[in-house]
Amino acid sequence: MVFFIIFLLISFVYFQSNVTKTNNISVNKKTADITKPKFSINSNKQKISVTANEGNFLTEDKIMLENNVIFKSNKFKIYSDNVIFNKKNLVASSSNKSKFVSKNAYIDSVGFDIIQNGNIINFKGKTKLTLK
Amino acid sequence: MIKLIIFFFIIFYFNAAISRNAGETEITTEDGIEVFQEEKYYLLKKNVEIFSDDLELKGQLVKIFFEKDLYDIKELIASENVEFISELYNLRGKGNNVKFNIKDQKIFINGINSELYLETTEMLSDGKIIVNNLNSTFLIEGPNSKLISDNIYIIGSKIDGTFETINNKRDIANLNVEDKNKLNIRTDDIEMFSEKAVYDKKKSTIELFNNVLIKRGNEIISGDYGIINTTKNSYKVSSNNTKKVKAIIVDADE
Repeated sequence: MVFFIIFLLISFVYFQSNVTKTNNISVNKKTADITKPKFSINSNKQKISVTANEGNFLTEDKIMLENNVIFKSNKFKIYSDNVIFNKKNLVASSSNKSKFVSKNAYIDSVGFDIIQNGNIINFKGKTKLTLK
Repeated sequence: MIKLIIFFFIIFYFNAAISRNAGETEITTEDGIEVFQEEKYYLLKKNVEIFSDDLELKGQLVKIFFEKDLYDIKELIASENVEFISELYNLRGKGNNVKFNIKDQKIFINGINSELYLETTEMLSDGKIIVNNLNSTFLIEGPNSKLISDNIYIIGSKIDGTFETINNKRDIANLNVEDKNKLNIRTDDIEMFSEKAVYDKKKSTIELFNNVLIKRGNEIISGDYGIINTTKNSYKVSSNNTKKVKAIIVDADE
């Protein structure tokens, strides 16, 4: 019985020390290449501004935009969390849950592509369009 | 316990099924939606389902054209196994290619096995069916074109006419039927054949032109022109050549 109690105490002390060790580990969070990046997609008929909380270069031209990514024109907004934006050909692509909001028109999809300087927006996969 | 689970299951799915609010149009697709901003249309792909107060539609590929704003719909073109129903307008139909012109209130159905049911009137064709709700006109044209109503059955390569609305119920007011290979009109007891026919509800007449043949019971009359009084259920047949009118009385025992 005494041995059992000692075993329990040793186990408890060992467990506590491990928890302390875990708590002491500092998270070395990678800093983003760009914070609060801003771009725009311009065409003859509209300007779409692109903002996000973070941006990381995948290649020289491709940037992964992360967290609160917003595409905004005078007619609509698109919200997503992960978008790859090619600053050379101005093509944006996402495979994450996305929401399109316009006046009395809403689209929910599992990703989108913006091509031809924003003229075509391709909402991918199972998609729902609501018109009011 | 099981009953309770089933109850909550039903409530959950019932709520999901009626997620659309009144006045809203909900459109779902399996393979996405493309928005063409300059051309002003949505392209909806694979197993498209549209639910609104006025219309329910299913199709494989749907183009929806909008006006200035993305919600302001002016035209819808659906293709591949299209089916639709409108309880508000008391119509349903199906076809390979269906077009709704929202502003002009026109419906176009094209292709083989096109069907439109307008209250008690059935329109069928392997060509096209067009209904204009604003001026109450319709056209059925092409192979296997048929119009079937309460007590009349019409086959012709071109059938056009007008509706009149009495007590919120549409009824055929006028009809023009054409078929170079002989049209066919059947009422309860008269069967008619000719190249052209004109129905006038006000006059209660059906006029038949060219290669006319009328069958009623054991009578078969042929000529160049025929007129049927639909109220009196009587008819006259004449010919350009007076000797040409031919009557055959078939013995009922034969």
